[in-house]
Amino acid sequence: MGTENPGRPSFPATPFAAAPPTMTPFSNSGSVVGSEASNLRPMRPTVPPNTSPPMTAGPAGSGESPAFRPAPPTRYNDPSLPTPPSSYGPPAAGTFNRFPTPPFGSMPPGPPARAPVVGQPPFQPPPSQVSPPLSFRPQGQIPGVPMGSPPPGVNTPQIDSSFPASRPNFQPSFPPTVSGYPAAGASSQLPLPGYVKQSNAPFQAPQGPPVQSPFQAPPVGYAPSAPTPSPQFLSQQGGLAQAPPVASPYGLHSRDQIQHSSTMPPMGAMQGLIEDFSSLSIGSVPGSIDPGVDSKSLPRPLEGDVEPNSLPEGYSLNCNPRYLRLTTNAIPNSQSLVSRWHLPLGAVVCPLAQAPQGEEVSVLNFVSSGIIRCRRCRTYVNPFVTFTDSGRKWRCNICALLNDVPGDYFAHLDATGRRVDLDQRPELTKGSVEFVAPTEYMVRPPMPPLYFFLIDVSISAVRSGMIEVVAKTIKSCLDDLPGFPRTQIGFITYDSTVHFYNMKSSLTQPQMMVVSDLDDIFIPLPDDLLVNLSESRTVVEAFLDSLPTMFQDNLNMESAFGPALKAAFMVMSQLGGKLLIFQNTMPSLGVGRLKLRGDDPRAYGTDKEYSLRVPEDPFYKQMAADFTKYQIGVNVYAFSDKYSDLASIGTLAKYTGGQLYYYPSFQAANHSEKLSHELTRDLTRETAWEAVMRIRCGKGIRFTSYHGNFMLRSTDLVALPAVDCDKAYAMQLSLEETLLTNQTVYFQVALLYTASCGERRIRVHTAAAPVVSDLGEMYRQADTGAIVSMLSRLAIEKTMSSKLEDVRSNVHLRIVKALREYRNLYAVQHRLGGRLIYPESLKFLPLYGLALCKSTPLRGGYSDVPLDERCAAGFTMMALPVKKLLKLLYPSLVQLDDYLLKPSASADEFRKVMKRLPLTADSLDSRGLYVYDDGLQIVLWFGRMLSPDIAMNLLGPDAAAELSRVTLMERETEMSRRLMGLLKKLRESDPSYHQLCHLVRQGEQPREGFMVLTKLVEDQTGGTNGYVDWLIQLHRQVQQNA
Amino acid sequence: MWSLYGWLFNFIFLIAVISIIGYELMCLTDLEFDYINPYDSARRINMVVLPEYITQAVLCLSFLLTGHWVLCLISVPYLYFNLTLYLQRKHLVDVTEIYNQLSREKSQRLFKLGYLVILLVLSLFWLLWTIAGEEFD
Repeated sequence: MGTENPGRPSFPATPFAAAPPTMTPFSNSGSVVGSEASNLRPMRPTVPPNTSPPMTAGPAGSGESPAFRPAPPTRYNDPSLPTPPSSYGPPAAGTFNRFPTPPFGSMPPGPPARAPVVGQPPFQPPPSQVSPPLSFRPQGQIPGVPMGSPPPGVNTPQIDSSFPASRPNFQPSFPPTVSGYPAAGASSQLPLPGYVKQSNAPFQAPQGPPVQSPFQAPPVGYAPSAPTPSPQFLSQQGGLAQAPPVASPYGLHSRDQIQHSSTMPPMGAMQGLIEDFSSLSIGSVPGSIDPGVDSKSLPRPLEGDVEPNSLPEGYSLNCNPRYLRLTTNAIPNSQSLVSRWHLPLGAVVCPLAQAPQGEEVSVLNFVSSGIIRCRRCRTYVNPFVTFTDSGRKWRCNICALLNDVPGDYFAHLDATGRRVDLDQRPELTKGSVEFVAPTEYMVRPPMPPLYFFLIDVSISAVRSGMIEVVAKTIKSCLDDLPGFPRTQIGFITYDSTVHFYNMKSSLTQPQMMVVSDLDDIFIPLPDDLLVNLSESRTVVEAFLDSLPTMFQDNLNMESAFGPALKAAFMVMSQLGGKLLIFQNTMPSLGVGRLKLRGDDPRAYGTDKEYSLRVPEDPFYKQMAADFTKYQIGVNVYAFSDKYSDLASIGTLAKYTGGQLYYYPSFQAANHSEKLSHELTRDLTRETAWEAVMRIRCGKGIRFTSYHGNFMLRSTDLVALPAVDCDKAYAMQLSLEETLLTNQTVYFQVALLYTASCGERRIRVHTAAAPVVSDLGEMYRQADTGAIVSMLSRLAIEKTMSSKLEDVRSNVHLRIVKALREYRNLYAVQHRLGGRLIYPESLKFLPLYGLALCKSTPLRGGYSDVPLDERCAAGFTMMALPVKKLLKLLYPSLVQLDDYLLKPSASADEFRKVMKRLPLTADSLDSRGLYVYDDGLQIVLWFGRMLSPDIAMNLLGPDAAAELSRVTLMERETEMSRRLMGLLKKLRESDPSYHQLCHLVRQGEQPREGFMVLTKLVEDQTGGTNGYVDWLIQLHRQVQQNA
Repeated sequence: MWSLYGWLFNFIFLIAVISIIGYELMCLTDLEFDYINPYDSARRINMVVLPEYITQAVLCLSFLLTGHWVLCLISVPYLYFNLTLYLQRKHLVDVTEIYNQLSREKSQRLFKLGYLVILLVLSLFWLLWTIAGEEFD
């Protein structure tokens, strides 16, 4: 298998910067030879004049490498060329100097000859040996020594002849070729370094400088010819080659690239090409056993999410990508370009993302001048505005309106047009700032932080131990609730009746009031149901202490959830705040009762399937809308062990900007740690209250649809009653005008909220992105993370209206379309017939697409995931920020036993040693101990043949027991301590959820199955594709109608 | 003479349905241009959805009773559409998703409006025909 070209770090950004002019021609060039030629004209300047003749005369058959062929196609009429193979006959001029064919030293290496047939003579020997397709195999497999003499260039012409036949990998008519071919391709990869060493070195010596010189430019990507392969380069060659030219330096496809590189000295162009795209050769015939793909070298995001940092100069003032990520950092300038970009176009915003220490957003207070905003479009002042008229006016970067600078804000401009006080103005130098909002930004006095708890006390809640854990956790958090001393708190409990608690500060014990009229619920007490925490602290504590015992003998099995919800709404509607619902029993009484519509297996696969995933009763949607209207955010904690219709109940969280936590079959003994950690985080993390968010963008584009957990208050205003750092929102762009004329578009996210301290604030993130007219550039600047986040949100939304299978094929189709479009940009031009090509920036997209199709909300059918779990995962994924989503989709798998056995390894050291493994069963060695971490849970996988020593050290006497009953705890051994330290570090690195640690032993079914094996996304499990198959399938479809 | 009264009766209902649809469209347009908030918009629309359906059903019936088979047949698909929406419980506007459904709801109502206008033109024509016929008698 060939090669592919992951982004290697060494070359990344430079080429673009270095050679922009040469880039453009490639990217917008069509694939037809004729047109190409004309397109390329502009490139000529970079090409030394003397090179053009050889190129025109290149040995190529028609249609190859058009991009590099400055001459119009008519040249083909040249008598020597019509049939490339025939042209071998005449060992025309000894012109091969340009080829890396030193062995034929006899040829005058000098510059002179650009004969029509470049490199003919050298090829003559090989054709005889190699020309039949079958002979490729040996060629590929024994590349090193035998091939030493025919340098890479050799391949070209022969292939020319045999190529048409042998290239179509999927043509069954050439089974032998095909099957052998991939192998050859693959093997050619590894030997290459050796080859380079062996062959090049000798040649260079005799040949002398003349030969080398032409190649000095291209060496970057071009292995075989590189006279001085750097060690780093070689190593890359081994596994993952670079770019197309490199990619198959040797394989069948390589002809054009080789030719290019040999005939195209200009450095810039070469590098540009290299960076243009990556490719992966997939040769396989349907039915062949060996897919021909070396699965080890497929691109995998083992580094985790990489934020795009390749932004061109001039965008350094942008806000950090953790706040705002565009799916592509190059905005298309026309509708037609948008329609050719088959991926979603938009942004993923996480307005309150947690910043590392030292990078916090600075808070500014414009007391005297007021907040500076554009008169027309209301944009906030930001680093991209320009000051003119010696500092008296400023031009809005979004709508281009000239605004007056208020007197208090005036500063002179220096000679370069910058304000003299620039360094004291963070709002003019930083992409993210926070303004303190004056009173005109308030419709009412800033609300106090308010937490209201709605707790299920029916029998199943009592039995599971949930109430005790919740009460304890809330009590332990009372000191840390934000907003002291204004924080308000209140409680309602419910079973078949609704219980209110009077917590008036003058009482010593809370007073309980029971309302059993569920049809017409009312509040028994006008106030004192919601009290100031600092005043009523003792009462609240007394209540929390007695809560578990109060209901321990409760035998009530009903749940009047709907009426209780209404009651909570009535109590809270004055102030708004956060409502935490602890729900254990399916709502069975009063309004909003739900049926066991159940996880009906018969519904799956039919057109009715989606209706299980949408809320059944409009009551919950209506309640959610009312909650949002009154600034109430709802977080739902669901614990039921039976079906409890989270599809309906979850909408409460979805439309109020909240979160759904689901603990299937909650048992205090197992899950208390997780619940109390997550509840603590929910209660104590910095929360923005009664927030609204708007994203503005430049003229000509508009955000049209919004995706995430929130409700829209107007066309572009996102209402977020309670928002925190763990929530992200996605929005899609569309062009309003057919053609954008400006060079840059700006995006500004503004979140107006009440901080817990009672200050009204506006957090503003500003970013700029260039407008491009070139599809290739769009793909190059694509951001896989944002795209995947957007795709998954769209997919989850689609599960609400169609079958899972349709949703999955939709994801698949989108990727296929995007790759096909990209392929059309380059494939013909570079003759990459049998290869899957994709932009460097999207190399992980296929894998993430696969992982998305296997994620909990989209996976399989009825039996694969319980319906509640599916819905809960859907709600969770709609809110996750990009990084966490990617980790959930492609979790980390790390081998631990080496680390644990190594003496004196500290946890910090482990960071370095920690190497993520591909998520496939092949990575699991039965002698090892592995940790699997997807951000929501951790699984420790014990190999069957793991040394008993390790198991004993970690588990003590439990080592032999069935691991499902064993809990991991710290033991008196060094190894155990180290493991626990490590798990702690893993958890600290992602504090938004608590990852419960599960232990699984190899072969322990079915636990191993659903905990580990189905989550290995690269494997073929239960009718789903493995990574290799998925790629092959993608590739096949990309090729159709390509 | 009776047929004339029948026509007047039909006209009243036809105009009523058209004005209800117009009102709903107005609410949606206002929402689109941000003159009212989604809560009010959805509440106003949902308030008149059932009256619209009922009036339309009555209109259909009255066409039938006054013996205008063709017009009745023309308005039956509309009735059927309303009925299926109602049975699927999709007749009300969903306030939480109103912005995502905006374009669909709008085009659906515009289509209805066009349909009704055609019906109006047809019945006007018929009315004039009837009147003319009566005068000739």
